[in-house]
Amino acid sequence: MSERRAVPLDERVILAMGGGGFTMEPSNPLLDDFVLGLSDADAPRILFLPTASGDQTAQITAFQARFGDRLCQPEYLSLFRLRDLRRPLAELVLEQDIVYVGGGSMRNLLAIWRAHELDEALVRAWERGVVLVGLSAGAMCWFAAGVTRSSGPPEPIEGLALLPGSLTVHADGEPERLPVWLTGVRAGELPGGWALDDGVGLLFRGRALERAVSSRPGAGAQRVDAIAGELVRKRIEPELLGDRPAAALGAIDDSIAELRRVRRIQRGIGGRESGIGRP
Amino acid sequence: MHARPPQIVALGGGGFSMEREGSLLDDFVLSLTGCARPRVCFLPTASGDADHYVVRFYRRFSPGCDASHVSLFRRDQGVGGVEEDVAAHLLGQDLIYVGGGNVVSMLGAWQAHGLDEVLRKAWRKGVVLCGPSAGSLCWFEEALSAFHGAPRGVRGLGLLPYSNCVHYDAEPGRRAEYARFVGDGMVGGFAAEDGVALHFTRRRLVGIVSSRRGARAYHVRATADGVAETPLPARYLGEEDGSVDAREDAAPARASTPRRRRRRAAALPLAV
Repeated sequence: MSERRAVPLDERVILAMGGGGFTMEPSNPLLDDFVLGLSDADAPRILFLPTASGDQTAQITAFQARFGDRLCQPEYLSLFRLRDLRRPLAELVLEQDIVYVGGGSMRNLLAIWRAHELDEALVRAWERGVVLVGLSAGAMCWFAAGVTRSSGPPEPIEGLALLPGSLTVHADGEPERLPVWLTGVRAGELPGGWALDDGVGLLFRGRALERAVSSRPGAGAQRVDAIAGELVRKRIEPELLGDRPAAALGAIDDSIAELRRVRRIQRGIGGRESGIGRP
Repeated sequence: MHARPPQIVALGGGGFSMEREGSLLDDFVLSLTGCARPRVCFLPTASGDADHYVVRFYRRFSPGCDASHVSLFRRDQGVGGVEEDVAAHLLGQDLIYVGGGNVVSMLGAWQAHGLDEVLRKAWRKGVVLCGPSAGSLCWFEEALSAFHGAPRGVRGLGLLPYSNCVHYDAEPGRRAEYARFVGDGMVGGFAAEDGVALHFTRRRLVGIVSSRRGARAYHVRATADGVAETPLPARYLGEEDGSVDAREDAAPARASTPRRRRRRAAALPLAV
């Protein structure tokens, strides 16, 4: 892989999901197909980071099940089982088209990334046009702040601040998290930001929100700011993925998907040498 | 709580996670607690709190101990083992057993949860600390970690003012790498082969024991002419040495036969 160069701000892409994708929606591929469509590559190199879960086997297996037979080059990187990786982590991250971060403990996620200096590598990857994707802890980590349950009860936590504002996730699935976030925003301890239901993804170009998409009817998002000590809440209606021609949403149209599948078989896409886990 | 001096048992590899008959080293560590039924808490952080590792811990320690574990990854799901105040729980133990895995990931997660300070306090208070691999390296000032790619130096908690190297016999090149690091300025220290345990009281090495006949530890330090490696014999804990009475219920495990000695379970990612 040749050296990637920095791209202009509006070509830096992050998709933050409140929940959903292969770990939470094993029978609903809408968000994950949308993810693959975010890269221009025919067969994007997609790297899964299960760090926040402690590299749980179940997450890795789900990743393999979802992406193993799609047109892409899936790999995962376990920071607890690095034995066979003989290359610098930063190099591996920079040669990806997409980096997909799983859910779990946000506190552990950031601490372990820092210990391995992977946080800096991910920032550099974003600056060079690698699409960053994540759900739950893996979504909040890109913002200035989030709400974590890493120690049990929900509490505010700082993120990497590639994106302005704060994010809270599972707004519908884990109702105890939202009030802590709202209280933090009202008190000025947390910057204003977004609350996402499970199945909702916010697509950022540069630091600006471009689109909101969803894999589930009825799932929504809200933007919340504190103005003069009062909360101003604005509902965001996401586009429901899959209910109109998929190509228009950036996902893969069926016939194209079929064509790509055939090409993939013809080219025998598979093992590249990197010495890490691969579906 | 018994009045005990600060103690650490650093395993070069071995114990319940690596040896099918891993009772010898584990029994030795348990004997240091001086309790009939010790409170033993497992920290599987370095493995990412791998479920199978936790299960094996309970299988080994539940019968004779009040066993518990602390997970730093599953606390939001209510399956993190200890649910109350983790610091208070750890400080109330007789033995804290730290599992193997990746020492860099483990130290990062500990720091984020404040466990580095808690473990320091526990040590001073007389809670026996032990572990293999990453669970050994973490107690030292510096350590040689070869878990990922080229070996690197890692700063540990610094309870012991030495460096440490584990699996000294198991990985080719480990010995030369350690010598190189010590020659380049890493503080001198101790290397242990698989099945060897270094026993420290306060900051002093007071004993070396082993679950394998002939296994050794080494003292490695920089000298005027380079790096000196001094072999340190270990006291074999098995049947031929009657002087170590680990615990009464350890008797069946101590009847180890040559056939069993080197058999190991290879299921775990325990390199450092």
